[in-house]
Amino acid sequence: MLKMNKKTLSMIIVFVIVIALALISFQIRRNTGFEAEPVANEITPKIVFTLGALQVTSTVINTWIMILALSIGAYFLGRSFKVRPTMIQNAIEWLVQAVENIISENVGTKNTNKFLPIVGTLAIFIGVANLLGLLPGLQSPTPDINTPLAMALIVFFSVPYFGIRSQGLWGYLKHYVEPIFLMLPIEIASEIARTFSLTFRLFGNILGEEIIIAILFVISPFIVPVPMMLFSIFTGVLQAYIFTLLTCVYIGGAVKAHQQS
Amino acid sequence: MDWSTLPWDKIFVLVTVLVAGLGIAMGIIVPAIGQAIVAYSGLKAISRQPEAGDRINSIVLLSLAMLESLAIYVLAVILILVFANPMRTYIFGG
Repeated sequence: MLKMNKKTLSMIIVFVIVIALALISFQIRRNTGFEAEPVANEITPKIVFTLGALQVTSTVINTWIMILALSIGAYFLGRSFKVRPTMIQNAIEWLVQAVENIISENVGTKNTNKFLPIVGTLAIFIGVANLLGLLPGLQSPTPDINTPLAMALIVFFSVPYFGIRSQGLWGYLKHYVEPIFLMLPIEIASEIARTFSLTFRLFGNILGEEIIIAILFVISPFIVPVPMMLFSIFTGVLQAYIFTLLTCVYIGGAVKAHQQS
Repeated sequence: MDWSTLPWDKIFVLVTVLVAGLGIAMGIIVPAIGQAIVAYSGLKAISRQPEAGDRINSIVLLSLAMLESLAIYVLAVILILVFANPMRTYIFGG
């Protein structure tokens, strides 16, 4: 007889029950002949209503819900701040501190106030948007390619903005032709390529997660997708971190040229 | 031989599935090797100089993200092939 204490035994029992429930749900789905929605339909955004020529998709509705929740939360949390921080205030201060650390390491300035609004907004928006799909009834807006493209375009336009603001128009335009004018097409190509790379990294990662969860849902809807959903929390936060980091690196590239020369 | 009598729609589906499966498998190999090299050298650098760990950590994550985007391009092309192939109209019409 194998020796085992109570903890191991209870863990094994829970594990067996979970596997049994998953198998039962798989059998029920197979025997009742219930057809799940095709995976392609589940991941494409649906048109909810049209405003003239504008088509409002479910992505936009989900984004509105998210913005509303974030705004109301920010309003009430911002009014309740105290000198001695409580639980939620601690978490928010940690978040702001983390974003400030990313900025000061990669942009290379101690004065982070100029960059904190846009970088912090991008970090919070993408982080919450990636995790929104875990709530029942809501879909995360990032697997629609328009949302990551909008984020990447914001970065695309904010890099020259900060560059021109910190070193003037000629000083910024000069870094395109340094050290030799042959670098001009390469620099322009890299500006465009990194916008697309930002877009596709966020889009592809989150869409891949969604497709895997949808396929597992078709196989067995009860317990099998849960580990993948847990993993998607990790991926979503990591993608938000990487987007923030890359934004800071690109802004730093435009701002730092001034300090070296 | 009469080419128009061949079942082009079935051939199209077959080729799409084959290319999608082979493409994702082959396209993942090279970024995987690159990510392995990055993680290997990052670990070596941290174990040699643990006090520089924070700086090395962020650079390693950055390079991993850059390499991962290559694999994501493969995934995007495969997804377009499978779900939204623009050549589909030549075969199936409309």
